[in-house]
Amino acid sequence: MSVPTTLSDASLAEIDLELAKYPADRRQSAVMAALRIAQDEHGWLSKEIMERIAEYLDIPPIHVYEVATFYSMYEHKPVGKHKISVCTNVSCLLCGSGGVLDHLKDKLGIGPGETTSDGRVTIKEVECLGACGGAPMMQVDKDYHEFLTAEKIDKILEGLDG
Amino acid sequence: MKRAAHIVKSLFLQELIKGLSVTGRHLFKKKITVQYPDEKTPMSFRFRGLHAQRRYPNGEERCIACKLCEAVCPALAITIDSDVRDDGSRRTTRYDIDLSKCIFCGFCEEACPVDAIVETRIFEYHGENRDDLYYTKDKLLAVGDKMEDSIARDRKLDAPYR
Amino acid sequence: MATIEINGQTIEAEEGSMLIAAADKAGIYIPRFCYHDKLSIAANCRMCLVEVEKAPKPLPACATPVTDGMKVQTQSELARDAQKGTMEFLLINHPLDCPICDQGGECELQDLAVGYGRDASQYNEGKRVVMDKNLGPLISTDMTRCIQCTRCVRFGQELAGIMELGMAGRGEHSEIMTFMGHTVDSELSGNVIDLCPVGALTSKPFRFQCRSWEMQNHDGIAPHDTVGSNLEIQVMRDKVMRVLPAANEAINEVWLSDRDRFSYESLDSDQRLTTPRLKINGEWKSTDWQTALEHVAAKLKVINEEFGADSTGALVSPTATLEELNLLKKLMQGMGSSNIDYRLRQQDFRGNQPAPVLGSSIADFESASTVLLVDSNIRKEQPILGLRLRKAVLHGTQVHALNHVDYDFAFRTASTICLAPDAMLSELAILTQLIAGRTGSSVPDAVSKLANGTEASVEIVALANELIDAGENGHVVLGAQARMNPNYSVLTTLTSLISTMTGARLANLAEANSVAAWQVMGAALDDGKNTADMIAEPLKACLLFNIDPRHDLLAGDHALETLSETGMVVHIGNFHDEALDDCCHVQLPLAAFSETDGTHINCEGTVQSWTAAVNPLGDSRPGWKILRVLGNYLSLDGFDYNTIAEVRNEAVAALQPIDASRVNTEFTVDELPDNGLKRIYDLPLYHSDALVRRASALQGAADSKAAVVLHPDTLQAIGAEEGSSVKFSVGEQSVELTVSSSNIVPVQCVVIPSGVDGCSAIGAAASVEVAN
Repeated sequence: MSVPTTLSDASLAEIDLELAKYPADRRQSAVMAALRIAQDEHGWLSKEIMERIAEYLDIPPIHVYEVATFYSMYEHKPVGKHKISVCTNVSCLLCGSGGVLDHLKDKLGIGPGETTSDGRVTIKEVECLGACGGAPMMQVDKDYHEFLTAEKIDKILEGLDG
Repeated sequence: MKRAAHIVKSLFLQELIKGLSVTGRHLFKKKITVQYPDEKTPMSFRFRGLHAQRRYPNGEERCIACKLCEAVCPALAITIDSDVRDDGSRRTTRYDIDLSKCIFCGFCEEACPVDAIVETRIFEYHGENRDDLYYTKDKLLAVGDKMEDSIARDRKLDAPYR
Repeated sequence: MATIEINGQTIEAEEGSMLIAAADKAGIYIPRFCYHDKLSIAANCRMCLVEVEKAPKPLPACATPVTDGMKVQTQSELARDAQKGTMEFLLINHPLDCPICDQGGECELQDLAVGYGRDASQYNEGKRVVMDKNLGPLISTDMTRCIQCTRCVRFGQELAGIMELGMAGRGEHSEIMTFMGHTVDSELSGNVIDLCPVGALTSKPFRFQCRSWEMQNHDGIAPHDTVGSNLEIQVMRDKVMRVLPAANEAINEVWLSDRDRFSYESLDSDQRLTTPRLKINGEWKSTDWQTALEHVAAKLKVINEEFGADSTGALVSPTATLEELNLLKKLMQGMGSSNIDYRLRQQDFRGNQPAPVLGSSIADFESASTVLLVDSNIRKEQPILGLRLRKAVLHGTQVHALNHVDYDFAFRTASTICLAPDAMLSELAILTQLIAGRTGSSVPDAVSKLANGTEASVEIVALANELIDAGENGHVVLGAQARMNPNYSVLTTLTSLISTMTGARLANLAEANSVAAWQVMGAALDDGKNTADMIAEPLKACLLFNIDPRHDLLAGDHALETLSETGMVVHIGNFHDEALDDCCHVQLPLAAFSETDGTHINCEGTVQSWTAAVNPLGDSRPGWKILRVLGNYLSLDGFDYNTIAEVRNEAVAALQPIDASRVNTEFTVDELPDNGLKRIYDLPLYHSDALVRRASALQGAADSKAAVVLHPDTLQAIGAEEGSSVKFSVGEQSVELTVSSSNIVPVQCVVIPSGVDGCSAIGAAASVEVAN
């Protein structure tokens, strides 16, 4: 897999839209949005992409890196087509997120941080996603799934396309 | 009355007999004199004799050049130089004890965080000139290599009291 | 002002200032790790928790503003419990490897653990391990020891101006690092070593050399720049182990540039001269001082009688001490010669020489509202002044740069104009003319001739208005590198005209102890032969005082040639190398800055004396003693000093006052040759003097890279590419140099550094041709 090094004009235009929300001398405010846009384009954030964002926002690269490593939503390695993020923070842990991870591992044969050999699914352990009321929960791509049980997980996995 | 008693005592040589009886008693008692060097007194496992530098079982020298022994030495008998060894670890390039200054207080041993500098049971060493009493790192390590069994046994005996 | 009570003690404190600052002022200590009075407040270590009356929880003293009537307990049960709890958490992941840690003995964590730690940990699980990072040749890391106080990150962000370190990751996974394997390249990077409260960031050259309690502290003054930073020279067994900054709010605050911090490494270089040496039949022979000095004196006397006093000259390094400068001048004058110069990298000596001063105190440098930098890379010339200027910019100072190269100043400039050498002169003339017009002053004809009737650009008009508005709050700064410019006298004249007309302060920066040299030499600078004269024609006898001609003189190799034709060359210096061995006849070992008493006068005119920290290496002797005895052997009057204080007092009393500085009003422009590429002069930070050039760690740092740089278009035009070797020729000489490209350089120009091997063949040439 090739390492993404540049951002498309469309992405830059989108970043410009975000930049317009902030004063002209506060370009760093758009760093989270810029990282999200870049990740939407390439699926993950390479060193080159982070450098490109730093250059575009006129901030030091380490500043971008700090933000990109703080949030678990940003990927630093290529991920599968679908990303399953399992919350393992306190509420979910108490309600059985360990079982969810074990079940996923049984089903897919991969642990947290790994991708299936066909490149279809990646499992991630993440911090609180703010859905403690529905613990245990996981996020599949952009959708939340709450009150998980083994059956529910099977159904969700079956529902994933190619 | 006093005078009469004195005359009687002198007449019957009472004092002399008293004294001779002590001599006579000791003549047949078990002797406490130790026939050094054929005989030796028992020695505590805490005996503080000649210094030694120890190694770990894999042959690595224990000393990490922290210089606490040098700092604590009340006689200023220890001189250490330290540097980075090729593998990046902190080691001494020079570790000298001037035994003609040493007062065998054992502080160096107490200060050592890694049990590298120890005092052995050896007390019968000599030097024919001052140089012989200037122990360098190599000499100390040689003593340690030779005495390791006895050193290790003594540390084990002392361990419950620490 | 607010009245508060700390531990029952009533104190007055500024309303809104932080509790910890108020407590510090009152002498009440509150433990802390992340708080530093020169950095912003992070409040992330939580060590400074104190009990405040009516607050439900302990509050961090570093982030709690003082309000009137506040009652604070720093040692109550609640506060102590909070502090001890914090300490327990900090120690959970700390490796406790104090015996092998270079910070051991001077570690804030270690010290506070004595007061607030437990004797045994309740935590029995595995500790966190963090991989060490490679931050370059100056800073060594043990990141497992890090307690995430972020002082180093804040220093980079707020003071050094380039954020190189950051805290990546989150929670237990957070670690201090650079962006993906970058090194820390700031010229002030060593300060993070001092800031680090634990042993996570330590000095690489000092690594495992000795423990903090073994060293004795000696006060010293940094010899490399014109700031005169205060030093703490730490010595073990008569060897300089490391150099730290000594706090002096008026000068270097608590900071130190890497150049001043790490240059000590060369003090025991292999190239140190340790015995007096004579060249006999082409062979160097070590000898004793008496023989050597008698030989020098006898030779000098003969040459003096045979060829006259004017045939003798002296070149002195600006790093020399005030006492050495004074005695050398006295020695030369005693022999009847005025040929003495310290301006080693200057080639234009026309007109009067302005004093190389800042024009204000160093602290006031921050208060200027508008600063105009002319031919100055202030950050890499005088790092501490660069730091001051950056602070000023953050507080609203407008900095304008009129340079050849678009330097990275680590602060935002209000405008930057970068032009080729001749165009820059005209631009400065246009600015001068414009200001003259607006202020109703008249300027010499030469200015209008140089301006050549060109219309002023929008930036120049704005700049002129701003300088006029700023009045005496303006500051015009002519950089040290301008001294290498073939039209230096034009630059000094134009900048002084601007400053006179607008009322702005005028800085004319130079290297090292130049202020002392200027004040000592006074009229001798104008009367006798200057550096260029002495290099142009071989003298009969030449005294080199701590100079390495190839690197310290702008003329480079040409200077060496002249010296090799000189009848007798006496080198009094710290070091020797092959080139020096070839051209000299006598070498006298000189004690380095840490080995001699001396005096430095900095750019604000502060006279600072220091005493030797260690004994001179080998047989070397302090410069003032060498010169005093040489004076005696030459039977000169007034060389019977007993102590250095006598030399110093005499020197200080005879100093030419700085306000006697006369500026020029007239000048002529030296037309630059039209052919080839125009040369832009540069003096790389770590090539500035003999001591720095031999400091091994500094030579591995990013700033030691001295590159020949061209604009990409120019590079293409000459048919070369990045990293390739290009043959440059000057007259009949030619030399191959590796080139790189950058668009910070104007087209048709080439940056050729001085003080660097290879480039020394180019000498002082103002233009070079590309040979095929």
